[in-house]
Amino acid sequence: MRARASQEKSAATLTYEDVLRIVEIVKASQFSEFRLKVGEIEVHLRRKDGATAPAAPDAVASAAPPAPPAPDAQSEIPEGSQAVRAPMVGTFYRAPEPGARPFVEVGDEVDADTTVGIIEVMKLMNSIPAGVHGVVRAVLVENARYVEYGQPLVLIDPRP
Amino acid sequence: MSRSRAKPRFEFVDVSLRDAHQCLWATRMTTAMMTPILGAIDRVGYAVINILGGAVFDVCVRYLQENPYERVGLLCERLETPCDALTRGQSLYTFELFPDDVVALNAEVLARLGVSVFTVYDALNDNRNIESSVIAGRAAGMKINGWMTYTLSPVHTDAYYVERTRELAKLGCDILCIKDPTGLLTPERGATLFPAVVRAAGRIPVQLHSHCQSGLAPRVYEVAMKSGLTHGYTASEPLANGASLPATEDIAARARRLGFATSVNDELLKEIAGYFTCLAERESKPLGKVATYDRALYEHQIPGGMISNLRSQLTVMKLEHRLPEILEEAARVRHDLGYPIVVSPFAQYIVTQATINVVQGERYKTIPDEIRKYALGYYGRLAAEPAAEFLERACIKPSEMVKGRPGEHIDPWLPRLRKQLGPAATDEELLLAAFYEEKLLEPLKKPPPAYEYSTTPLHELIRYLGSRSDIEYARIRFAGTEMTVTA
Repeated sequence: MRARASQEKSAATLTYEDVLRIVEIVKASQFSEFRLKVGEIEVHLRRKDGATAPAAPDAVASAAPPAPPAPDAQSEIPEGSQAVRAPMVGTFYRAPEPGARPFVEVGDEVDADTTVGIIEVMKLMNSIPAGVHGVVRAVLVENARYVEYGQPLVLIDPRP
Repeated sequence: MSRSRAKPRFEFVDVSLRDAHQCLWATRMTTAMMTPILGAIDRVGYAVINILGGAVFDVCVRYLQENPYERVGLLCERLETPCDALTRGQSLYTFELFPDDVVALNAEVLARLGVSVFTVYDALNDNRNIESSVIAGRAAGMKINGWMTYTLSPVHTDAYYVERTRELAKLGCDILCIKDPTGLLTPERGATLFPAVVRAAGRIPVQLHSHCQSGLAPRVYEVAMKSGLTHGYTASEPLANGASLPATEDIAARARRLGFATSVNDELLKEIAGYFTCLAERESKPLGKVATYDRALYEHQIPGGMISNLRSQLTVMKLEHRLPEILEEAARVRHDLGYPIVVSPFAQYIVTQATINVVQGERYKTIPDEIRKYALGYYGRLAAEPAAEFLERACIKPSEMVKGRPGEHIDPWLPRLRKQLGPAATDEELLLAAFYEEKLLEPLKKPPPAYEYSTTPLHELIRYLGSRSDIEYARIRFAGTEMTVTA
C-alpha cells in the first residue's frame, strides 16, 4: 500500500474531528466507486472488485460452550452397581492435576468420602465424592470431557 | 493588597492505559496502540498515570504475547509523570496466593523499571494480605497507595471503612484510595463515607476510584471533592463511562464549576480523545457509553459480563428460565458466605454456588473446594461469619480454620526457581516462571515491533484507510490537504 500526502502551509491543519468525519463517510459508503464533495471535504474512494465493507465492529462472539454430548442418564446401570452422577455441568477431571495419578482406577476400594474426580465449572473445582463404600467397577467418562447434569461418571459396586 | 486564599485543588490519575481498556476493550490495548499518544498524555498534567494491573499483566502474557515487564519499563522510560502499578497484594496479578519472596522480588523489579507509585489492595479487604507488598514496595523506594474496596452489605458500614483506613495508615501507606469496582457508590453514601474516611486518614491524602455502571459516578466524584478527597481516577473521554471510569474532561469541568483548581490541559485532552476515537474505529473497538441509572445493579451486584456468561451456560443446560431464581439465590449465598465483595474471584464463587443450589434443588449439597477454602480463611479474613447452615453443610471444624496471615503458610519459591532456571536467569524471568507455564512464555521472546512515538490526525487517517482491506484507492482533499492511498 502506498500513501502520498501533501499539506499546503497556509491551509488549516486536519484535526481528529475532521478525520472522524471522513471515517464516517468512508464507513457509510457501500459503493464500488464513490465521490463526495461537501464543503471543504472531497472524498474519492474505489473498492476492490466484489469487496463489501467489512462487518461492523466484531460483536464479541458468545462464549457458549459447545453442546454437550447426549445425556447418558438412561444408559443401563448394571445390577448391583451404583452410579456416581455429575452434580452439575462442567468439565470432568480424573486427576488432581495434568499428569498426576487418577483419583481412582477400576478395582480400587473407596469410601463414601473418597474423591473419584473433579468437575470444573466457571474455573471452580468441585470434588466429587464416591458417596458409598465399595469397589470401582468402571470409570465412564474420559478425562477433561464436558459432562451433563446427572450423567453417570463412575460405577461403584457397594460393599457392606 | 491581601493575597486571596489559594483555590483548593483536585487532581487526576489517568486510567486510559489500564482500567479503561480493561473495562471496555477486554484489556486488549497493545503497547503499540499506546506509544503514539504517550507524549500528549504525559503533558496533560496528570498527577499519576496508572499503567499496570492484574488483568493487564495476564492479558499481555496470554493474549497479546507481550512481556508485561517490558511494557512497564518502556512506559516508565517515556513518561515523566509518575507511573503507578497495581497488584492484588499477596495474589499479585492472579487470584492465587504467592509466597513472600515472590511478592518482594516483584516489587523490586517494578521499582527498578521506574514505577514510583505502588498500589496494593486485597479483594477481602484483609490488610494482612498487603503487608508483605507494603514492606517490599517501601524498601524499593516506591510510594505506597493502599486501596480499600467498597461494597454494599450490612457489615460494610462507614465504621468498617474507618477501621480499614486506620489499618492502612498504620501500615504506613502514603496515599489511600476508596475503590468502587462495580460503581455502587451513591452521592448520599459518599456524603457520610468520604468525610469519615478523610477524618480517619488524618494527613494522608484520600483518592476516589469509581466505575460508571450505575450512572452515578460523576456526581459521586463531586461529593468526593467537597468532602476533601484530593484525587480522582479518570479516563480519556472515548475510554470512559459504561463499565469504565468517568471522563477526565467531565470531572475536570465539574471540579472547576465547584471552585477547584486542576492541572489538566483541555487542549491536550481533546487531542488524546481524538486519537483514541480514531484508534477505536481502526481496531473496531467500542467507545464508552454513559450508563443510565440501573436499580437492579444494587440488588444482586453481579457484574453484567458474568450474567451474560451465566445465561449462555444456562442455555446449554436448557435452564435459562431459572436465571431470575439463580440471581435471587445469589443474594442469599452472598449473605451465607459472610458478604464477600462481588469481584473476581468471589463473584464466581457466589454465582456458581447459587447455580448449584438451584439446579440440585437442595442448598449446599455440593460446595466447590475453593469456596470451602475461602470459608476456612485460607484467602484471608471474612467480612462476616458465614451462616450456620453453610458451615454445617461444609463440615467445617473450628480446628481446620486458618489462623494468621495467609502468606505465612506458603514456603519460598525463589530457591527452587533459581535452581530450575539457572544462574543466568533475570529477576523478570524468575517471576514470569513463577506465574506461568513455560509454553505461555515462549512467544514473549519474539522481538517487539518498532514503536511509533508521535502521530498526527493525517497520519491516523492514513492508518485507518490502510486498515480497510476493501478499499483499493482513496483520494481525500481537505482544505489545503490532499492525500491519495492505493492498495
